Order: sequence, then C-alpha cells, then structure tokens
Amino acid sequence: MPDAEHNLTDADRVALAEVLNRIVPPVDGLEGAGDLGLAQRVDEVSRAIPSWRTSLVIVMDAVSLDPSARAAGGWLALEEDEQVLALEAIEVNIPAHFANFVSAVYAAYYTDSRVHKRIGWRSGAPQPAGWDMPPWDPSVLETVSQREPFWREAPE
Amino acid sequence: MEHERTDILIIGSGASGAAVAWRLAGSGFSVTCLEQGDWVSPGSYPNTSDDWEIRARGDWHFDPNMRGWDVDYPVNVDESCIDPLMFNAVGGSTIHYTAHVPRFHPSDFRVKSLDGVADDWPLSYFDLEPYYDLNDEMMGCSGINGDPANPPRKARPMPPVPIGDDGVRLANAFDRLGWHWWPSDNYVNSVPYRGRLACNFCGNTGLGCSRGAKGSTDVTYWPEALAQGVTLRTGARVSRVESGPDGRAIGATYIDSEGDDHFQPANAVVLAMNGVGTPRIMLNSKSDAHPDGLCNGNGLVGKNLMFHPYAMVAGFFDDDLPTHQGIVGNMIMSQEFYETDERRGFVRGYTYQVIRSSGPVSTASGFLGPPVPWGANHHQEFAARFGKSATLAVIGEDLPEQHNRVELDPDMTDSSGIPAPKVFYTLSENSRMMLEEGVRNAETLLREAGAVGVIPVPLLKSSGWHLMGTARMGTDPANSVVNAWGQAHEADNVFVVDGSVFVTSAAVNPTQTIGALALRTADYILRERTDLASAS
Repeated sequence: MPDAEHNLTDADRVALAEVLNRIVPPVDGLEGAGDLGLAQRVDEVSRAIPSWRTSLVIVMDAVSLDPSARAAGGWLALEEDEQVLALEAIEVNIPAHFANFVSAVYAAYYTDSRVHKRIGWRSGAPQPAGWDMPPWDPSVLETVSQREPFWREAPE
Repeated sequence: MEHERTDILIIGSGASGAAVAWRLAGSGFSVTCLEQGDWVSPGSYPNTSDDWEIRARGDWHFDPNMRGWDVDYPVNVDESCIDPLMFNAVGGSTIHYTAHVPRFHPSDFRVKSLDGVADDWPLSYFDLEPYYDLNDEMMGCSGINGDPANPPRKARPMPPVPIGDDGVRLANAFDRLGWHWWPSDNYVNSVPYRGRLACNFCGNTGLGCSRGAKGSTDVTYWPEALAQGVTLRTGARVSRVESGPDGRAIGATYIDSEGDDHFQPANAVVLAMNGVGTPRIMLNSKSDAHPDGLCNGNGLVGKNLMFHPYAMVAGFFDDDLPTHQGIVGNMIMSQEFYETDERRGFVRGYTYQVIRSSGPVSTASGFLGPPVPWGANHHQEFAARFGKSATLAVIGEDLPEQHNRVELDPDMTDSSGIPAPKVFYTLSENSRMMLEEGVRNAETLLREAGAVGVIPVPLLKSSGWHLMGTARMGTDPANSVVNAWGQAHEADNVFVVDGSVFVTSAAVNPTQTIGALALRTADYILRERTDLASAS
C-alpha cells in the first residue's frame, strides 16, 4: 500500500508490474507492460499530472486491499484470469480513478521506444522534423466548385 | 504602486487585445496592455519534447483546471456539462488554438429576423467584412475562394494548407453524397508569410507552434504593436476595473507576480479577457456607481454564456492513413447543414470539421472519444484505430439562454485571492437535437468514405474552446451590455472586445470574428474617440 506521501513501496511496484501486464498484455513477441519494466515509468509519468498520481495511489490501494487477493495470500498469488476479474471489479467501483490510472499506463507504454518500433511510430519530438505532405491540388474542388452559391441572404 | 496614466488600457493580450493594441499603436494614443500570463518561449512548446503527448495531458492541457499554472485561474465547473478551455499567456488562447478560422455567415447576424430566435446583431456581415479581411492579412490566412456556402470575398493571402490523402478521401465522399465541403481557412502558413516559416505538418497545431507557422498573436500582432510603442506588462493580474463617481472607468487594479498591488490609471479601459474572464472581472468590479458589477445595471453581465456544443464521430478505416501528419484541425469543413431547415425539428444548424488523429498515447487514451479498452483485446483494438482514423466534429450553433451564465464563486479563488468564476451551463433541447442529427449524418459520411468502424461521442465535455455572449452587444441598453462598437452602455470609456460581446454564436469557430470585431472597435476609437487621447 502506498505511504502517506503517495510513494509506492517495493511491494507496490512488484504488484504494479503484474497489474500492468494485465492492462497491456504481451503482443508479437513484445512483453507485457510490466515485464517491459514500465512500473517505474508509470510511477514517473503519474507525478507529472496530479490527478493521475492520486488515482495511481488509490488504484494500488484497491489492489492491495482486494478481497480475493487477500484470501489467496496476495495479488501475485492470483491466477491471471483472477487478476483480470479483480481489476474489472476495481474499475466498476472506482471508474474515474481507474480511467486515470489506465491513462497513466498508456502514457508510459506508448512513449516507450520498443513499443514505437513495433507499431511503426517515429519516436521523439514532432519538431523540428515535421512531415512531408503532398502539395495542395485544386483539382479536388472540381465537383463542389460546380455547385451554385447557396449561402443565405440576410437583411442588412 | 500607481503608474503613469495611459490613454488606452487593454486587459488581455489574446486574439482581441492584441488586435486592438496593434490598431491603436502609433496613432496618437498611449496604449498599455496588462496580461496575467507571460511570454511563452516557443522552445518550451510540447512539440519540441519527446514526451509531448504526456504534456498535452498535463502542464499543456487545454483546461486550466488540469493545467494548473500559477498564472491560470480555476473555474468551478460543477454546474456545467461543458468545461471552459483557455490559455493565459501573451497571445492568450491563440497559443493553444488549432487556428481554424471560418467566418460567420450573413445569416448569423440576423437570426431573429430570419428564424425568429435569439436576437439580431447590431451590425451585419458586410459591416464586419473589411475587418475580417484585415485580420486575415495580419494573422495570415491560408484558404481559397469559390466556396458556394459563403459569400464571395477577397483572396486569402496564402493558398490552402494541403488536405492530404485523408482529406481527399473524405472530400470525395462528400462529393458522392452531394454534400458541400471546402478546404478550411486556417491561420497556418501554407507558404512562408511575413517573415514566418511555412507549416511543416508536425500535426500538433493545438500545442503551440515552435516554428511560428501558426498565427498566434504573440508572433503576429504583438511584434508590430511593441515596435510602435505599445507597453505590454506581463504577470499583471487584474482584479478590478475602478470607476469614478460618474461610473466611467478610471483604471485598473492589478497584482504582479511578486504579489504587489498596482494601480494603472487610464482614460479608457478595453476588456479582452475572453467570455469567462471578462465577466468575471466585471462582476468583481463593484463600486458605488456600479453596485452589481461594472456596467451591470441590467444584470446581463455574465448571462447568456454560449459554448459551441461539440459531438465527435470517429471513423476507422482498414488501410493506413497518415492522419497524424498535417494540421490536426481542421483540413476541410462542410456547411451542408448550416442553415435552418424546419423539417429537421430544430433551428439553426451545424458545421462539420474534419479532424485528424494524433500520436499513440492519444490514440490509446481515446483522443476525442473513448479510450482503447485495456486487457486481452487491447492490441487488436489499438491496431484498428492507430493511424486509421478521421474524426468529424459536429460544431452546433448555441443559442443564448440567460440561465447559462458566469458568476463569481463564493469560495474558490485564484492564487492571488481573486474570486474564481463559476460556470452554469446546460445543453438546450435544440442543441441536443442538432447534435443528434449531426452524429447520424456524420456516420453516413464516414461509411461513404469507407470507414469500417464508427465511434460517436454525443457531447464532448472538454470542448469549451469558444466562450461567448456574457457581455453582449445591442442597440437597447435594457437587453445588452455594449453597443455595436463594443462600448458599454453605462460607461462610454469602457469597451469589450472579446467573445463576450457575441449576440449569437453561429456554428463556426469564433476567433476570426473576435479579431474582426476588435479591429472594428479600435477603428471606432481612432475615428470617434480622440477625446480619449491625452495629447488631444
């Protein structure tokens, strides 16, 4: 359970990594978000946005207090499908916080260069490189230009 | 601290304040502008950062409540189904806007005469036309003549921004349905213009332009205004406009970034703080002459708040489209459904704006719609959306209703202790029906374009980009706050030039009209109010 300063404990990070694997599972030879080592990154990005930080702490609290996990001897003792069910229950109970938490996870995952490589995204800042585009071609106006003006006249 | 008197005191440096400052500069008036924000270095814009998508959700969020800069003020939105969005810096919200700048239609100024709703404006499209042209020239408009949905007009300074393969695909679909479309007017340079670079299509028009290719007023009006002697004071957070016993303004009180109090005396005060910020300060400016707030004798300051309610309909295609490249919004628009058609069951109409997608974080988080689900189906759903989507934004005309309003929050304040605004806004039945139809027709268009999946968002909450109506203009002092020149009925040296003066909202983005109205007010001051110049 996170401490009073909203810092994750070592146990939280271990649990978070497994939670991340359920949120963004493995694909195409790329490990799940937790096994990619993104728990630390989620911790970092959540500090950039206060509402995300609050939600991360609340969700990890909920994970640590989840009844099924407690009965089984802890989150890590749950089977994967049981973890998914537990997360779905948490999502139902605290939807806004869970949504923020998922946003933080996506932010961490989809700014990772390994993920970018898999999805074909150019990493880094959009500027100064920008992109090339085909130039404006007025021939595309051929059909609509034939339409008679239809703007509505109004009294002066 | 009391400063040297200025002839014209402008409060706010965004789309309207900058235009007034430039127009009055070097004309015999001394001009001072107070801006609560600061200059923002283009090098600090998110699009120069690897983590730009995270910053768009944090310290560069459209929403001041999310962004939380010290120069921002909080907005209580507990009673509003739409969140107001704004930016506080030199350039105001033009730093953050997507620079889509359609004009109002002639009919937008005559909705009472034509459709029997709301009120007519005390001026016409053609009264404003020369100022539209001037604003286009100063801000740098890319576009092309010949649009059958709008009156003929002067040529834009630049050709359209390329609409891309995705734009062509949607344009062809509009053609097949026989629906209007046209390349959007944008204050984005399609070629180098007035010393500024052309856009290089990085895709992030809404996060500040580090190239200066987007026409935000910090790179358009302000350099010229400052060169002509206008004083721009940043970090100056105005708390009140002060009035004399006769009700005329005598200046403004502000707090600097160190927390020190100042008084800036002035012969006239021009309010340019946006449709939420301006009524906020007017309501906070109670005096013996204005016991209910500045120029609020009829109680209309803060009333008739209009947003543009937005619905979003995302279409997903089964082939790759580079929809993250190019200006994000807006490449083409359609005004097929702009005017009233009684068969539809609602009055007035809407515009479609075609919006591109964004990066992977935005895609996963939903961009303008619901997020990609987590769990087992995540990757499949992400792949179906990423780089494969185009969104039709439905921007509907919002009609004025007095219960939609801005008040001062009794408890919430900014970091200087100035009361924060509280926004009360509910969606009208007319707007709801309009958006519902817009969503249906958008789905038809996207399917025609080849979309294999469509996700509608009936009302986007975080969409209060356009803040209008809260100090509206009119000829009758009983039902308006300012006259056709933006001059307050109750004080002839108080002018309002931002979106607050709008009588109705039209179904297009307001920035171009805000700039044009501000220039028109400035010309009125130049022509008719030489009494406000100390040298006179």
